[in-house]
Amino acid sequence: MMADSGPKEVAVIGNTELTSAELDNNIKNTMVEIEKGTSLLRKLEISVAEAEKRTGKNTVNMQEIYTVYLIETRPVDALTEGITPDSLWRRYSEFELLRNYLLVTYPFVVVAPLPEKRAEIVWHKLSADNMDPDFVERRRVGLENFLHRVASHPVLCNDNIFNIFLTEDKDWKEMVYETGFQAKADSRLKAVNAAFRVKNPDGRFTELKHYSDELQTVLSQLLRVRARVADRLYGVYKVHGNYGRVFSEWSAIEKEMGDGLQSAGHHMDAYAASVDDILEEEEHYADQLKEYLFYTDALRAVCRKHELTQFELEMVALDLACKKQQKEELVTGTVRTFSLKGMTSKLFGQETAEQREAKLQVLEQQLKEGEEAVKEKNTESDEFVKTAWVDIERFKDQKDRDLKEALISYAVMQISMCKKGIQVWTNAKECFNKM
Amino acid sequence: MSACTPKSLASSGQKPIQEMCHPLGAEEAVLTPSPDVRNITSSIGEKDQILPNGTPVETSSPSSSSSLLNRLQLDDDLDGETRDLFVTVDDPKKHVSTMETYITYRVVTKTTRVEFDLPEYTVRRRYQDFDWLRTKLEDSQPTHLIPPLPEKFVMKGVVDRFSEEFVETRRKALDKFLKRVADHPVLSFNEHLNSFLSAKDLNKRQGLALLSKMGESVKYVTGGYKLRGRPVEFSAMGDYLDMFTQKLGTIDRIAQRIIKEQSEYQVELREYGPVYTTWALSEAELQGPLEGVASCMANCSSALDELTQDMSEDFLPVLREYVLYIESMKIVLKKRDNIQAEYEAKLEAAAFRKEEKASCTQVPTDVEKCHDRVECCNADLKSDWDRWQNNKRQDFRQLLTGMADHNIQYYEKCLAAWESVIPLLRDKQPQETETEED
Repeated sequence: MMADSGPKEVAVIGNTELTSAELDNNIKNTMVEIEKGTSLLRKLEISVAEAEKRTGKNTVNMQEIYTVYLIETRPVDALTEGITPDSLWRRYSEFELLRNYLLVTYPFVVVAPLPEKRAEIVWHKLSADNMDPDFVERRRVGLENFLHRVASHPVLCNDNIFNIFLTEDKDWKEMVYETGFQAKADSRLKAVNAAFRVKNPDGRFTELKHYSDELQTVLSQLLRVRARVADRLYGVYKVHGNYGRVFSEWSAIEKEMGDGLQSAGHHMDAYAASVDDILEEEEHYADQLKEYLFYTDALRAVCRKHELTQFELEMVALDLACKKQQKEELVTGTVRTFSLKGMTSKLFGQETAEQREAKLQVLEQQLKEGEEAVKEKNTESDEFVKTAWVDIERFKDQKDRDLKEALISYAVMQISMCKKGIQVWTNAKECFNKM
Repeated sequence: MSACTPKSLASSGQKPIQEMCHPLGAEEAVLTPSPDVRNITSSIGEKDQILPNGTPVETSSPSSSSSLLNRLQLDDDLDGETRDLFVTVDDPKKHVSTMETYITYRVVTKTTRVEFDLPEYTVRRRYQDFDWLRTKLEDSQPTHLIPPLPEKFVMKGVVDRFSEEFVETRRKALDKFLKRVADHPVLSFNEHLNSFLSAKDLNKRQGLALLSKMGESVKYVTGGYKLRGRPVEFSAMGDYLDMFTQKLGTIDRIAQRIIKEQSEYQVELREYGPVYTTWALSEAELQGPLEGVASCMANCSSALDELTQDMSEDFLPVLREYVLYIESMKIVLKKRDNIQAEYEAKLEAAAFRKEEKASCTQVPTDVEKCHDRVECCNADLKSDWDRWQNNKRQDFRQLLTGMADHNIQYYEKCLAAWESVIPLLRDKQPQETETEED
């Protein structure tokens, strides 16, 4: 058996353990569902409707204030239109728990990210305070988006834990822990180790890892610069408000010019005020980019899992090769490579025939087990690559679609901003002409 | 025609003054422009004062309100319908000589006035010449508002006197100056203006006479007399000018601040666009759209650059030059105050003397002179004030609509850029599915 695997590898994962047959089935269903569009979202309306503040004692028995979010669900059905939805409250940490569970249970899936825990990369007018109502609101939207992503995922939407998360709040946490998913989680150290030592990872995954690093870098930079641009734009608009005031003061000392100046001043005020809405809308664009920034983590997680699986396969194969060689040496009596056995036999004399026979038998047994292990690992690895790649293609298509839409709506926003600018200045010009 | 001087105030339209040598203009006759210009002293000293549109001025007593009204009405004509003198300043050129390097400007004049021998003139003048003209005008028409010139001195290290922007800004200001003078019903008939516009070479003799002239001018600005009661309308003018200066200062500061903020915005924009280009490199399907967005931002960035430049070149200099104009106006108000103060002092002295010498029944002539001077000055000032107000209104209307236009153009350029990118973004999308959106 592999040196660094332990009994935890074979832990049972509650009622959501997927055998390879079920996995196959799921994949078939995925394809079908994509064609038929029968994901959960089509059957169930999910929304994160509200946010509220609660106080309570935390794990170290201290008072804390936290925010809870109301999850409402209602079957999509013409007949149930008027019926009040089922609802329950959940806090951010429960979403995190759910996501971690999904990550571990479906390592071949690019799992949607959660919105930011803390506000980062914001332009200065936006509060970085977690309790700020705007931040809470944007988080609410982000959480709803997360649920929609999971609910529309062909594999994830069927997960029992997920479904219960949406509908029953009693004992959900206990249920999640009972699945023992935490034990199944690969240690970070193991993953890093594998990443270094793996010999033949699938080229596509290497490329994907590279891509996700690049995407992360470029999106971080984009978001940072965008925030600075927003700051500057804010400054430009707001200073124009000063024109409003001075034109008003000036109009007071003028006779014929007074009216024109006064009304032009009002337009300048309106211009200055318009930037608040503009930048609020742009924040939406930033959130769309942020989602994909966080998605890069999920991509890398899938690549890491592949490297780990591949590494484990390589280790098992190496072990098998080793054992085969040992057998050969034993049978032919030749020592190819240096081994302690060879040394000791030289020093202390050859073994007896019985001894050799016993050893051979042990080796044969080990060989058989080894071959089994290699076959198993091979299948595991192949399955992983296959299922992961299906999901990665799905993700790629989703990403291209979503980001294109985001760019389009960004362009539309810019167009609207330009049109408003033209309008304001044309109005001001009319007032100036009347001076 | 009076043998005295051609320099009497054309604007007064009053016989007594006309035939009187103007106290401040008396020695003007000595200095004449270069020989090849014919004597153009004809019109100004004429008994029957003709104003620009050909109507004779009523030559009744100074206090006649109708004559005042007449003058004001006639002066109101700014539409150029009856304008017969057109001037332009353009074509700046650099001249390099052993002694110095300087810029000259081409001054083109088109006119139907009889005071000019030819209908058209083209001459080259440098700043010094404009300065000479202005000084001459100030001295010969002390009660009138002379439009200001752009700043004379520039810090050699700070500003490049020969840079395109500086020369262009100056040219515009000089053009404005000359146009304002040419539109003035009194100043435009000044002989020095005539020489300036028509003479091949300006003979600017800066003799002693001129110095003493300046002395007189200075006297009227600083004055040694105390003013008793300034008429309300002139006080109001002074107050208005003070408040107006303040507002202009504020507007200048705001405009500068906006330019600064726009420049900083520009800096960030120039970094923003290229990030999309970098991103495009790692993408396949998204490469086209991302590059489209990047080039769009580059277009917006250069549009912003143009806006900032336009505001710096067109808006700020004109605003600043108006502050100079206000200063000139304030000086004229001050001069008026001093003339009135002198009159009051003389009147008081005369009254005192009258008490002593009971025989004196006549008002002494010099007091009368002062009185007329005051009336004349007040009238000139009022008409100049109205003209100034009108000009100000037009100038600011033009300035502010110009600012609005620049901004509109900026937004139109950006709009065009973004609209052209939309089809590029929408391209190759097989279906417009409602995917999960935030």
